[in-house]
Amino acid sequence: MATYLVSMLNGLAMGSLLFAIALGLSLVFGMMDVLNLAHGAVYLVGAYVAVALVADGGGLAVFVLAVLAAAAAGAVLGGGLAALTRAIPHHLDQALLTLGVALTVAELLSVAFGNEVHSIAAPAAVAGSVTVAGETYPVYRLLVIGFGMVLAVAVYVLVERSQLGSVIRATVADRPMVSALGINTGRVLVGVFGAGAALAAVAGVLAGPILGAQPGLDERVLLLALVVVVIGGLGSVRGALLGALVIGQVQAVGAALVPEYASFLIFAAMALVLLLRPAGLLPAAGTAVRV
Amino acid sequence: MGILSALSRLPRPTRAVTVLTAAALALAGCGGSSLNQSGGGQSGGDVKVGLLLPLSGVYAPLGQEMRAGFQLYLDQHGGKLGGRTIKVVTADEGGGPQTGVPAGQKLVTQDQATVVVGVVNSATALGLRDFFDESKKLLVIANAGADAITGARKSDYIWRTSFSNGAVAATLGPEVAKEVKGKVYLIAPDYAAGKEMVAGFRKSFEAAGGEVAGEKFTPFGTTQDFQPYLSTIRGSGAKAVWSFYSGAEAVGFVKQYKEFGLAGKTPLYGPGFLTEGGVLDAQGRDAIKVKTSLHYSTELDNPRNKEFVAAYRAKVGKPPTVFSVQAYDAAAVLDKALAKASDTSAPELVKALNGIGPIDSPRGQWSFGADHNVRQQYYLREVKSSGGTFVNAITGELG
Repeated sequence: MATYLVSMLNGLAMGSLLFAIALGLSLVFGMMDVLNLAHGAVYLVGAYVAVALVADGGGLAVFVLAVLAAAAAGAVLGGGLAALTRAIPHHLDQALLTLGVALTVAELLSVAFGNEVHSIAAPAAVAGSVTVAGETYPVYRLLVIGFGMVLAVAVYVLVERSQLGSVIRATVADRPMVSALGINTGRVLVGVFGAGAALAAVAGVLAGPILGAQPGLDERVLLLALVVVVIGGLGSVRGALLGALVIGQVQAVGAALVPEYASFLIFAAMALVLLLRPAGLLPAAGTAVRV
Repeated sequence: MGILSALSRLPRPTRAVTVLTAAALALAGCGGSSLNQSGGGQSGGDVKVGLLLPLSGVYAPLGQEMRAGFQLYLDQHGGKLGGRTIKVVTADEGGGPQTGVPAGQKLVTQDQATVVVGVVNSATALGLRDFFDESKKLLVIANAGADAITGARKSDYIWRTSFSNGAVAATLGPEVAKEVKGKVYLIAPDYAAGKEMVAGFRKSFEAAGGEVAGEKFTPFGTTQDFQPYLSTIRGSGAKAVWSFYSGAEAVGFVKQYKEFGLAGKTPLYGPGFLTEGGVLDAQGRDAIKVKTSLHYSTELDNPRNKEFVAAYRAKVGKPPTVFSVQAYDAAAVLDKALAKASDTSAPELVKALNGIGPIDSPRGQWSFGADHNVRQQYYLREVKSSGGTFVNAITGELG
């Protein structure tokens, strides 16, 4: 039983990271109708920012600096992507464009950092382990869970309870109406795109001590994020959170219970959700009725 | 266009989900495809050697190390092997047989290479086997470890300067059986090499009186979180763990082995790829005390190796790896064979290879067996810290 408890804890840690990654993807798709396949590449940029700045460990201050630098890099990339995709209305064209950006960014990173696997050390202060339910568990992962919780609350308050949030939600639901009310939806869109990308890059730094950085990681992360968005429903904060938690648990507990099937359990979960709730578990209120 | 028009008729939210799902599935399907690249050009030298190495994809670091090893031997011998000027043509093996097999065929048919050297991926090696066997061209494999290449599917025209999976794993079995008082847990990725490694180790380990606590194969290439498996291992009461991983998985496994508190209590053993080259750099101190079996380490104490390590460092700026040595030795083998053969046709080269005798290598002396596989000394290695970096110190020889 203790084993499964630790697995669930681990699922929470992965879920927290997935939430940070998938949130931007979900909001951008729900709001701008842009399928951003460069989202994984933005994550990888964050991971390599950590490689460049943190590398062999160091203090908490350096790690925080890496987080801030990654957020800035992510925001810039997100803004650029928003500008690029704005003129293109079709999903397929957007997918091709952002895929091209993703390939270019990934190749540039591999030119700059090489193809080796890089590991990123957790800050020395939190690099140790504690005993949870009789098993050793890394402190850093507990902090990641904490970060996920804080992020969830903060984003919930921002999007569901603040005035800026109501503008964002309204833009997801009905963009022409919001602009008819005199609000510059373009600015909202770029802001959300940039913030989502910044969050993905930050997740790249935070996931560094767990997943490291290497070529190809961007594709795996993007894949997980897409599955999270499909399960959770488009354009919804709560959906992204639920989807991330579900996938985190399916991965961790699934691997503990039926390791033989671990590699495709998340796709089975996705297929099941698509069968029963094609719009996702918690789609944004507006999109469910919009045709 | 059918799919697109059907897509555009769907209600919008459904359409969005469909696109997303399609994107997710497409991503799941395509691993690391890659573009081909080659040197090309007309011949200016006597013998053309085709290097088939991964220049892109997950194995790219290995490709770089192998190319550096081969090139170092050429540089040390004035660009000549067996007295003949060598022209090297390189092709990208990519991440698997879908790119590697056509690239290998192109080296022979289009670039007219006399001999092809390299091949990291076992599936690529096996995919090329019939082509080389039937077109009677020489292939010197400098990595791919599948047992079948020099076993059930052996060919007159295919020789291997590296290792076979079963052998490199089996050599550690008796040692672990002797050192560990209690059962040992086996864990490896779920693909051909993982299965061969586990089978090889298990056979020699059990023959030496060892007992297996459990055996687990993890999804290959997608496992990032080893916690569930590590918890199972802890629950099994195993006194030690034997594991085969390489590349990113080796980094993840060894680091998490430490994070989840197994290192220090439960000794970790495995084939040397668990802690080789760039992998060990990324693992750092988390790999200390991991014991592995391999046919090479930079720490080997013989004059030939000292000279090789110094020359390699001077040229590349990094210490060599087992992969560099395997390619270096492939050049040494060709050097001897070309010197012996009366002409450069494949049958003559094969005849020369059959009587080539022992190779004096940085890894120690080795020779080809009747199956065209290497017969070599394996070493017991232990990760130790040495002046700020981490190395695989040699702690013994394995039978």
